[in-house]
Amino acid sequence: MATLGFNSFTITGALEKNPKLRLALFPCDKKGEKRVSRTSVKAMGAAKYKGTQMREKKLTEMIEKKVLEAKEVCEGDKTSDECKVAWDEVEEVSQAKADLRRTLQIEKKDPLESFCQENPETEECRIYED
Amino acid sequence: MAVSTVYTTQSLNSTCSISTPAKTHLGFHQKQVVFYRRTSKKGSSSGSGSGSGSGSCVITCSAGDSQTVVIGLAADSGCGKSTFMRRLTSVFGGAAEPPKGGNPDSNTLISDMTTVICLDDYHSLDRTGRKEKGVTALDPRANDFDLMYEQVKAIKNGVAVDKPIYNHVTGLLDPPELIKPPKILVIEGLHPMFDERVRDLLDFSIYLDISNEVKFAWKIQRDMAERGHSLESIKASIEARKPDFDAYIDPQKKYADAVIEVLPTQLIPDDNEGKVLRVRLIMKEGVKNFSPVYLFDEGSTISWIPCGRKLTCSYPGIKFHYAPDSYFGNEVSILEMDGQFDRLDELIYVESHLSNISTKFYGEVTQQMLKHADFPGSNNGTGLFQTIVGLKIRDLYEQITSSKTAAPLEATKA
Repeated sequence: MATLGFNSFTITGALEKNPKLRLALFPCDKKGEKRVSRTSVKAMGAAKYKGTQMREKKLTEMIEKKVLEAKEVCEGDKTSDECKVAWDEVEEVSQAKADLRRTLQIEKKDPLESFCQENPETEECRIYED
Repeated sequence: MAVSTVYTTQSLNSTCSISTPAKTHLGFHQKQVVFYRRTSKKGSSSGSGSGSGSGSCVITCSAGDSQTVVIGLAADSGCGKSTFMRRLTSVFGGAAEPPKGGNPDSNTLISDMTTVICLDDYHSLDRTGRKEKGVTALDPRANDFDLMYEQVKAIKNGVAVDKPIYNHVTGLLDPPELIKPPKILVIEGLHPMFDERVRDLLDFSIYLDISNEVKFAWKIQRDMAERGHSLESIKASIEARKPDFDAYIDPQKKYADAVIEVLPTQLIPDDNEGKVLRVRLIMKEGVKNFSPVYLFDEGSTISWIPCGRKLTCSYPGIKFHYAPDSYFGNEVSILEMDGQFDRLDELIYVESHLSNISTKFYGEVTQQMLKHADFPGSNNGTGLFQTIVGLKIRDLYEQITSSKTAAPLEATKA
């Protein structure tokens, strides 16, 4: 009978298989920032257009920024409306980033593909080059 | 500029049906105009003889072709419902794609048979607006249920709508996109069953109920690689959203025709990785066009471990349970799977023992699971039950559409 390998999606499982992944999980300090962001963008797979690369970058920055904001806002009162709205925003952008990652890595498509067929002249549709 | 398509048909002698597609190439439900010419009747058996007689023609049209089947899917944003969408659209064939050439940040997915709308598009407040008012996206005050109702109703009745787009990247409401009535409309999001009027439009509804421990594990998988996130931030985010989630989202599950409940496994003591899952498919009894899946003997209580002499499984194995029960006052049947599939033959063995799975051929469930072996949940009850629910929806769709016969055009002559 054929043996099927199903992907294991846990972090611990992945780390066991590939200890080198440890590096990718820990954020770099400011010095390594450029390199990490480039690496993490490259790792996203099928990003082809500048617009997609810009979105990835924007979402990554927003996650970082909004987590810091939420931590600040919640310092005072964890149960306040401001606090829960702040974490809700974190959730929203985290999910948006995850959706983009899935489209690029698993479906191997650039979400701007069909838009750029129609509008190849726009800034967004310049072919992304590293 | 008017565009029309002309069809010709044979003479309408007695009762004859002409089926024209209710949706033209433009996808709109358009008015049909029928031109007819009465030929003189010689030797008519009615005996009136004059040949010029007054005849009346009755032409009736039924809207049968344009009724869209509407499915509602409720879940919190990070709970794999997009995986569910992809499995569902795959059951119907064809890949679901974002609308071509429109707003690249559209949340909509379109395939041959189905259109999937994200209910975030009905946010009445954008990100800034919600911040100002101090409401989360989970709060009903951030959503326009009147518009949701009007548009879902319109689509259900075969009328295209201009639906707003909520842009998750910018947090703004973008100009609307045109949604043409598909054969199957799926509305997915936080509140598909919140508003009673929208609930009444649904032909079938599903709620994805993820337990806290599993939600935490899934969000760790989703977010840990992101700069800025840590275990603490992920935990804080879940906890901060919990009160609104419990108040506004969770109560919808009592209205669902099917609930897929995802819990940590009971097979491994103290397992907190969320790797092995226990999944329960809670199916309401008495739902039109939906017959619950069962194991061996409908309505009885069964515990089943398929691994043994005929089937060898690796640790921790697979365990099934099936029983009738009560859920929020409704009679339900619950099919439960704990553990995971390791090999193809385990999957097909299990499939061959389930009943009422609405497959069109032996091994269809296995085939669908294999097709998306890279999707999360492909080796456990989430993938299995999502696939089965997809097949049940196909079955429901076929039952609904076959009960509407094509429009007979009746011409009666007096």
